[in-house]
Amino acid sequence: MSSNINKPSVVRKKQLRAGWLFLTPASILIFIMSFYPMIMAFITSLKTGSGAKLKWGDPLFVNYFKNIPADATFLRSMGNTFLYLIIEVPIMLVFAILLAQILNNKDIKFRGLFRTMVFMPCAVSLVSYSLIFRSLFAREGLINSVLSGLGLISENINWLGTTGTARAVIIIGLIWRWTGYNMVFYLAGLQNIEYSVYEAAKIDGSSGWNTFWYITVPLLKPVIVMTAIMSINGTLQLFDESVNLTNGGPANTSITMSHYIWNEAFGQGVGHFGYASAMSFIIFILVAILAAINLKVGDTRD
Amino acid sequence: MKKKLLTMTLTLTMVAGMLSACNGSANTPADNSGNAEASDATGATDGAAPTEEGSTDLGGVSDDANTLTVAAWDPNFNIPALQAAEAAFQKKNPDFKLVINTVSGSQDVENAVTNAASAGDYSTLPDIVLFQDHYIQQYVTNYPDAWQDLSGASIKWDDFGAEKLSYSTIEGKHYGVPVDNGTAIFAYRTDILEQCGYTIDDVTGITWDRWLEIGREVKEKTGKYLLSMDHSGDDLPYMFMQAEGLSQWKDGKPDIVGNDTYQKLLQVIVTGADDGVILLCNSWSEYTDESIVGDQVAGVMNGNWIIPTIKQVKENSGKWALTTIPTLSGKEGYAANGGSSLYVTSNCQKVDLAQEFLAYTLGGGEGATETYDNALKNGGVITCCISAGKSSVYQEPDEYFNGQAIYADIVKMGASVPVVEQNDFHYNLRTAIGTAITNATKAGGGADLTTEIQSAAQDIDRQMSL
Repeated sequence: MSSNINKPSVVRKKQLRAGWLFLTPASILIFIMSFYPMIMAFITSLKTGSGAKLKWGDPLFVNYFKNIPADATFLRSMGNTFLYLIIEVPIMLVFAILLAQILNNKDIKFRGLFRTMVFMPCAVSLVSYSLIFRSLFAREGLINSVLSGLGLISENINWLGTTGTARAVIIIGLIWRWTGYNMVFYLAGLQNIEYSVYEAAKIDGSSGWNTFWYITVPLLKPVIVMTAIMSINGTLQLFDESVNLTNGGPANTSITMSHYIWNEAFGQGVGHFGYASAMSFIIFILVAILAAINLKVGDTRD
Repeated sequence: MKKKLLTMTLTLTMVAGMLSACNGSANTPADNSGNAEASDATGATDGAAPTEEGSTDLGGVSDDANTLTVAAWDPNFNIPALQAAEAAFQKKNPDFKLVINTVSGSQDVENAVTNAASAGDYSTLPDIVLFQDHYIQQYVTNYPDAWQDLSGASIKWDDFGAEKLSYSTIEGKHYGVPVDNGTAIFAYRTDILEQCGYTIDDVTGITWDRWLEIGREVKEKTGKYLLSMDHSGDDLPYMFMQAEGLSQWKDGKPDIVGNDTYQKLLQVIVTGADDGVILLCNSWSEYTDESIVGDQVAGVMNGNWIIPTIKQVKENSGKWALTTIPTLSGKEGYAANGGSSLYVTSNCQKVDLAQEFLAYTLGGGEGATETYDNALKNGGVITCCISAGKSSVYQEPDEYFNGQAIYADIVKMGASVPVVEQNDFHYNLRTAIGTAITNATKAGGGADLTTEIQSAAQDIDRQMSL
């Protein structure tokens, strides 16, 4: 009798088999496409040398403990990436949530048009928008012409040739490109908040700001956490802007981590694949840590 | 409702994933310069978007016994040269066919070789590839199995400029057949020099100090720079050193710390940039489109493939002249920059045909004069094959350069370019020195040049030890 209870029924067995059957293809694909390359990348990251002549590091973790800490450019690229992260992500998310709030208002005319316009930058390829920003901010570019036309500057500013302004241009570009993208998530989140909640708040005499701060933001929390994780993740892997907009310049002071990794692996024909893999694992660890913190801080659900 | 939110979040994440995937595929190689020869000089770093996998497929080889495949870039420059070679060889072998796969830039070939070599499968490579001179040593060293030694081909190696051959000759073996000639030229606007009371002879065979003086005067009187360069891939230090007959390398190590000549030359660039004589541009397009085509400069110095860029300004026709490069001592300097050669890959099974084809045409054989004449007429490709450079086509005066027979002059200059030591880490050094120059200029903070050179050397040592 007892053996009968522990034994799964025939139907259950069949269901189990079907479950595994459905899971297998995806699991195998994920393993082959994602996990296997990750493992191989880790193995490669233990090697030194270039091109087809890679050899094991001596000692094994020499890339991680000796080469990376000694690499001033990598440390600078890390600093740059975090600078972009710290400045750009909060500004962008605040803009996105405000825009979402405004465009969620039922009384605004041409709401669809405005929403499309704010979202439009996301339809532009990263490379082309970077190239457009580069020509806008070139020494003889539109921005300089406009500024000198208005009499604000007497001499053309070398936007991309000066460290501070080059970094600023990257941040401006990022905000332009990604704010609308994040706004869409907030819009979707806002539409999921029942109108009755706001009505109740109104009856209780809550001001606009209080309603936003005590009702909208808490109810949007899961979306905020998600956009924050995605933005942080995306910024840490920033590549196209650094390559196409400033080309890491001037003097590598606006280069990002991914750009530097690409340079080491392919950029100068040298092919330090081991070293580049080691650096990408550093990014991987950083993203994992940041995402974990983010989830811990943001996720207070049950 | 929580479930609903969660579902929505997950769905959105999926959509986001798809969107970002779309972005990925939109990153087609952006050859921003139009003139793909530009990528010769800038290396892979200028506007080089990550190349799609599809574009690194160079087409492989053909089954037909009389057909060779070749991958090359620049339909206005290298492709006409290859077509000229095909037509010339067809006179000897009427069944011969050359299938030319035009790629968007030199990086495509480099990436394809890297991919093929990393995978250990060379079957994707065509019989012959065009390859940048400064990169080939690196690739022969890193992937020795990808190439075939051409020393056995009946090519008259003595007939080529020694400097050009020094790139494709690795450990005594000839791997490549030269296509173009990278000889550097210094072109000046004679009308602007005249306004300041100078002629082209006054800027030929002068010292850099004198050159800077003239440059300051030109800037003051006309507002034009005497030289510009794409500083994101700055070839000036390399060319300046070669004009002195020296290299930045000695016995495989950077020879830059405590090197008086080198520091003086870098100081010329720094002073020039500070005084408004040299314009250091932020990108290749700023260099070509704004400084040269935008008519901001009275002088251009680079490999002779820059001439088509100069010629884009139609209204300045007849106002330019070509000459040699200044040096520290005041003797005439000769240098070279950029350029590429053809290499037979290990995937080529028809080695005899490939060698015969290359030897007969671009290698200085019977068809060489015809090949190079048409290459010059159709693509502006200047040969470094000395006998082919004697043909009548080369003696024709060029109207844009006020009747100067520039092609004959360039071939002549090319014979004087000194052979200097090359190194696998050429581009790494270029980047490190570019950083040093930026930091030493006033705009970059005015750091001490000696210390900057030291830290550049340290950085190169570190990279070479990786």
